[in-house]
Amino acid sequence: MSKQYEIPVGAQHISLLEPLHFKFTTENEKIISTAANVYYVHRGIEQACCSKFKFRQVSFVVGRVCGLCSISHTTAYSQVAEKLLNLEIPRRAKYLRMLVIELDRIHSHLLCLIHVSENAGFEALFMKTMQYREFSMELLEAICGNRIQYDFSIVGGVARDLKLPVAHEVVGRLKRFKPELDELMDIFMHNWTLSLKNKGSGKITRETAMRLNVVGPFARAAGLAIDVRNETEDLLPWKEVGFEMITGEDGDVHARNIVRLKEIYVSINIIENIINGLPESELVTETKAFPDGEAVVRLEAPRGELFYYAKGNKTQVLERLKIKAPTFSNIAGMVEGFTGNEYGSVPAIIASYDPCLSCTAR
Amino acid sequence: MKKILTSPENLKADIRQFYNETQHHFIVMNAVEMGEQMEIQWFFCDYAHPAEMTCFYMQIPPGTLIPTITGVVSSAWVAEAELSDLMNVDIENTEKGFVLEPDSEAGPLRKKK
Repeated sequence: MSKQYEIPVGAQHISLLEPLHFKFTTENEKIISTAANVYYVHRGIEQACCSKFKFRQVSFVVGRVCGLCSISHTTAYSQVAEKLLNLEIPRRAKYLRMLVIELDRIHSHLLCLIHVSENAGFEALFMKTMQYREFSMELLEAICGNRIQYDFSIVGGVARDLKLPVAHEVVGRLKRFKPELDELMDIFMHNWTLSLKNKGSGKITRETAMRLNVVGPFARAAGLAIDVRNETEDLLPWKEVGFEMITGEDGDVHARNIVRLKEIYVSINIIENIINGLPESELVTETKAFPDGEAVVRLEAPRGELFYYAKGNKTQVLERLKIKAPTFSNIAGMVEGFTGNEYGSVPAIIASYDPCLSCTAR
Repeated sequence: MKKILTSPENLKADIRQFYNETQHHFIVMNAVEMGEQMEIQWFFCDYAHPAEMTCFYMQIPPGTLIPTITGVVSSAWVAEAELSDLMNVDIENTEKGFVLEPDSEAGPLRKKK
């Protein structure tokens, strides 16, 4: 029997800039088991939301759960609060929420691909993708006022309207981005550093994804068709604006990269459809009611299913708020996905998981 | 959302009877303090009808040992470990210290008396 070694990775490792700790047990460079720990940065946001802040302020607090998918958190919270208030929001606000969520998905998916390039040692692609991503950040700033932590969704609707010049700018920038996206797709599909090397790495099957309740591009790359945008028509009309489910088959690092790239095409299509058919209406439905009862909401963040539970008691302060981030659902799958791989593949596998521990530890 | 009442004695059998890993998606566990009692919740949805969510719940006094469901839902260990730390509840075969440092305050999400 070969000698076994335990190799710790993280928290704060060169290939894992997140407060997540993995301990790999290896035998002849092959990973035979993995343990995970996330005990570094619990921030007590749920507790603060139920003690220090009024329910209307909470949408601004949960926007700070994560810098990458801030809009998903503020929208999911706003939706769960609106359920407690029995509030129907204006149609234009629904469309604007979807627009910002999809722009955010583009920047988040590109950031994941940036990490994949960087961990593969492909510095030129890292720089190029970083440059291409900039347009999405600039558009988010033009629409929301901030590059990150947008505070765009509020209870009852959205905080800002989409002005006509900004809408034209969005359409123009997306048009210029499409050939750049084609170029990225070609590189990720055919460049050896990224395609052949990553094929077969970090593989999980559709059955494993189901067994471990994996979500987001991680699950879809393995062939598991789970995307909340396909399910929650009552809250946001995704199918009206051209949502299309993207799935892969192989469930490896390469498949995850390609699923994300294809999802960016879908996001572009959705944004264009939203701008072409943006309904005219108010931006906010006002109410003086207080949240009562309990409600749950699921929303497809860039990394997968985001879940909010809220309980109100007819006062300004919520009784309970529970947040389940997508990475939290993927921890069990992440641990399993390492097993059987060479230790040298760990950076590529980690980047392809696109973990966000800021959300998970909240 | 369909809510189904269960108990520490019946939880494993109830989940085993309900859960089929090719049909159901386990979302997360949650706990809500209700005066002297605590409500523990397990959320599921159906892959074929995802908008139909099911919540198993039980109301127990603090200190009650909650059975693990990892024998049926193998990924539930993550949710169990988190709830055990953040709400300071005791769950079968679950050690504390997964999401909190060893010297952290126990149950930081519990209401302050």
